[in-house]
Amino acid sequence: MLCLERRMLGLVGFIGSDLHATSGRLLRCTLRSSTVQQTSGSTHHPQRAWLSSQAPLCGHHTPKHRTRLYGPFTHPQQTLGSSRGPFSLPLFTQRVALSQGPNTSTAKIRLRTRLVVTLLFGGGLLGTWWYVRNEKQQNHRMQRIEQLKKVALGQGDFSLLDHRGHRRTKRDFLGSWVLLYFGFTHCPDICPDELDKISAVVSALDKDRSLPAVQPLFVTVDPERDNVAALERYVKDFHPRLIGLTGTPEEVKVAGKDYRVYASPGPKDEDGDYIVDHTILIYLVNPDGLFLDYYNRMKDDVQIAESIRNHMKSYVKL
Amino acid sequence: MSAPNSNQRKACWGARDELWKCLDDNQDNAASCEKFQKEFEASCPAQWVKYFTKRRDFLKYKEKMQTEGFEPADGPKESQS
Repeated sequence: MLCLERRMLGLVGFIGSDLHATSGRLLRCTLRSSTVQQTSGSTHHPQRAWLSSQAPLCGHHTPKHRTRLYGPFTHPQQTLGSSRGPFSLPLFTQRVALSQGPNTSTAKIRLRTRLVVTLLFGGGLLGTWWYVRNEKQQNHRMQRIEQLKKVALGQGDFSLLDHRGHRRTKRDFLGSWVLLYFGFTHCPDICPDELDKISAVVSALDKDRSLPAVQPLFVTVDPERDNVAALERYVKDFHPRLIGLTGTPEEVKVAGKDYRVYASPGPKDEDGDYIVDHTILIYLVNPDGLFLDYYNRMKDDVQIAESIRNHMKSYVKL
Repeated sequence: MSAPNSNQRKACWGARDELWKCLDDNQDNAASCEKFQKEFEASCPAQWVKYFTKRRDFLKYKEKMQTEGFEPADGPKESQS
């Protein structure tokens, strides 16, 4: 009984194009049955009786097992006409078997064609999806750049003195990635915290040799007190590449305005000391001098470093 | 008067933290923390003392808002014309 089911399954399986396995199953099935028949000699079982009549086929068609698949059905008249007693296959499998015809090479071609066509189609779909996805990402990037251009921060040019007394303009920093922070040296806690954060970010990015070096800049919002000497004392507590920038009140104002930095000196006490209230943001500027991103107090050094890495990667791609 | 350098900043912050811990332990009873208050005022510029004091007040206020909730103020009255 099991062998019979297998043969039926085998036929159905073939229709589903699982050619080798089913023909293999049929081969084993047929061989086993014929062996059993030969050893037992009994012909009571109707299945075995029928199979034993096919025995001659088992012997010599090993390489062409596909032919054997059709073995019992290559002569349709024989199949339908012959009386097989209680044993008979369901009608649909007979019909389908007949419709396949005797030509096995067509079946081979048909299967191969099917496979090739499926692969091509699948590959085509995948390729299309990939292409569309890349297009979308590119569009997003362009949109973002357009938005930033509209905001147009940092379009102007600044001219300031660095903490060694050399004049620096914005042009001097083109070609490098810049992290810009506005603050003042008399700042109680926020500026040191933010500058420590920037130092940590730059150090982390320095470790990756494949990335370009980031230039940290500290621009004062308190030019009255933060002269070159004051800046020199201040910046040496942070990353060695940190450059402090100062100038006349007008020059500093121009730089601040460029980045829409708010700065407001508070009331002076009896020492003449005062605190400057100011925007607390770190600005990222790309090598083209284009403002790309900003980071507030909530972002920690790991997040900022990650964000800069992403900007660098997409910059290169563009 | 030049700005505090890194060591001076750290000393000031340390004194501030000590003071604040004392105040937290004593339910903001300034009298019991006089020693720390003096230390704090000595380590930090006057402006910073003022700044940090205000900061503490703000942080306490914020904590109060977050734990006790608040009554939103009445909005602007409807037009009276």
